Amino acid sequence: MSLRRVGILLVKEFFKGPKSFIIWAIVAPLVISLVVSLVFGTLFSEKPKLGIVDEGSSQLVTMSRELTSIVTKEYDTVSEIKQVVESGAVDMGIVLPEGFDGFVIQGEETEITAYIWGESLAKQRTILLVTIANLVRELAGQEAPVEIESITLGAEVSIPWNDRLLPLIVLVAVFFGGIFLPSTSVINEKAKKTLEALVVTPTTVGDVFLAKGLLGIILSLFMGMVILVLNQAFGAEPALLVLVLALAAIMAAEIGLILGALMRDITSLFTVWKLGGILLFAPAFIYLFPQIPEWIGRIFPTYYFIQPIVQISQRAGAWPDIATSVFILIALDLILVGVLIFTLKRTGQYKV
Amino acid sequence: MNLRTIVALVRKDFSLFFRNRFFAIMTPLGIIAYLIIYFVMPSSVNESLEIGLYAPVMPPAFEQIQDEGLEIELVESEEALREAVTEGQYMAGIALPADIMEKFLSGQKPHINVYFAADTSEEVEDVIEVLITELAYLQVGEPLAIEVSEEVLGPDMLGMQIPLRDRLRPLFAIFLLMVETIGLASLISEEVERRTIQALLVTPMTMAGLFTAKGITGVSLAFGQAALFMAIVGGMSDQPLIILVALLLGAALVTGVGFLMASLARDVMSVMIWGFVALIILLIPSFGVMFPGTITGWVKAIPSYYLVDTVHQAANFGAGWGDVWLNLMVLLGFVLVIVWAGVMVLRRRFR
Repeated sequence: MSLRRVGILLVKEFFKGPKSFIIWAIVAPLVISLVVSLVFGTLFSEKPKLGIVDEGSSQLVTMSRELTSIVTKEYDTVSEIKQVVESGAVDMGIVLPEGFDGFVIQGEETEITAYIWGESLAKQRTILLVTIANLVRELAGQEAPVEIESITLGAEVSIPWNDRLLPLIVLVAVFFGGIFLPSTSVINEKAKKTLEALVVTPTTVGDVFLAKGLLGIILSLFMGMVILVLNQAFGAEPALLVLVLALAAIMAAEIGLILGALMRDITSLFTVWKLGGILLFAPAFIYLFPQIPEWIGRIFPTYYFIQPIVQISQRAGAWPDIATSVFILIALDLILVGVLIFTLKRTGQYKV
Repeated sequence: MNLRTIVALVRKDFSLFFRNRFFAIMTPLGIIAYLIIYFVMPSSVNESLEIGLYAPVMPPAFEQIQDEGLEIELVESEEALREAVTEGQYMAGIALPADIMEKFLSGQKPHINVYFAADTSEEVEDVIEVLITELAYLQVGEPLAIEVSEEVLGPDMLGMQIPLRDRLRPLFAIFLLMVETIGLASLISEEVERRTIQALLVTPMTMAGLFTAKGITGVSLAFGQAALFMAIVGGMSDQPLIILVALLLGAALVTGVGFLMASLARDVMSVMIWGFVALIILLIPSFGVMFPGTITGWVKAIPSYYLVDTVHQAANFGAGWGDVWLNLMVLLGFVLVIVWAGVMVLRRRFR
């Protein structure tokens, strides 16, 4: 094996290889991260949404906006609020008549109409109605007749959806490019018969696979770091994070090279991806839904990459908390190297 | 156009598909994986806030709080309440003091302890406090100066909410349809790359026959899997014919998209890139079903909206032909335009 030839091949892969490979590896994780963050990060919020049409200039709108327990949105007309309620953009829409605050402060009976979205949950409706009543009392200057003391029990903390989604996003970023780049590159060379031409030169199959693997490792490591930076999760222990990302990138590239050696064409690769992708991303679901026992995640190899990332970026973990996972990750990488060599020998497509 | 030639080509494509061990094994395994995801998701929607209440003396106003959306359970002691909240049995636990009524009657403010599990969100904590305050107002006889008249817009789903997994059905259907289409587009692209298409066209096979055969293969593969999935997850229990028609049109639509992708792509890899772009665009309307109200009217410009909406309405609300005919007509229109465009550009590329 010649490092110089590997270097030349790597440069060729970067600059002369099909641009679509690189675009696929960079753009796809970014788009997926963006879509996943937007869709699940912001929309899984269980806060009830209240829409208000203020026909006067009620203080209730400002007071409602200040509440953290609900989401308040303002609309201009009754027809607009009916439309947004019907579409489910808000759970409930109320119309405050002109002079509403005056009526409330003077204790005069007044009526407001609440449009309720038919698919709104019962608890959301109750929460909004009680909140409106409470705001009206505050507006009227009524003093709360009780003192409430909130006491939190237990040590667990509520994990926001954005944090729960980080493992999935990082997995996509590292494994998407890391697997697809080397595998499609190998399959493409097989299809175009350029690999045979290459290995009759002093370049060995090992050189070619190492160059393609390095390309996958570099890009997936880069994407992993980009995603962590974008999600503000790169602050603590950056050296450890880079180490874990690098080990995961190696794993991804190895899987990609094995698939590249085994698959005859891109369509077969895509078919395997339909199932294999789910298995690779399974540990992310453990973090998405904490109700699922964590031991299930340990069955999947990518768990040993995700556990250290979560431990460092979200739980202020350090080396002792991740050491076991890192060693398992190294062991998995070594096993995969063996599997790759075995696959190349077994398939007998190239001389090794 | 020779029917026998078309049938022969379709049979050849199918035989190639199922002779390939990966396609034959992994395709059903893929469906199984989606089914597993579907069936492990919760099958019902929890509509209520579960609250434990310890009340040595029960104020009349607090007796009335068995409202829709609240599940109040009485607990025997404050210690039992704390334990239940810690174990996650309740979202919150309210402990009323023994002297609550005396305090209310004497105009003093009673002190109420509210226990929350550590993972209870801040907004739920706020809401429980607001609820208790409101009950206290009612107890001391301070009436609310407003009357709220309620009007429910759309079908009132109280007590029969659609679980998220059922909202995901259109997304799964689109996903299954599109993945097969990417496969079809890459098959065509491969044939173009290897010039087997040109070889085929020097036989009695005509261009129209070729497209018909490829179209039938694409539609059958995509439709078969999506229909099987929908049948297993119960999506066809209400309006099976509507779902089948919608999926068939959807399969034709994505086959047209497949033709377009194959014509735009230079190689199989760029098929995947174009496929990815098409997949994201076509999936957008299904996010609107998963999270209602998040997507505005522009989504109707995306053809898959009419497939997603029809599947959602028919499978989750039991909508009939009268409710969805317009969707199906618009979808058919999109199918005709996209398939025509796909055939035209692909035909130009073959020449």
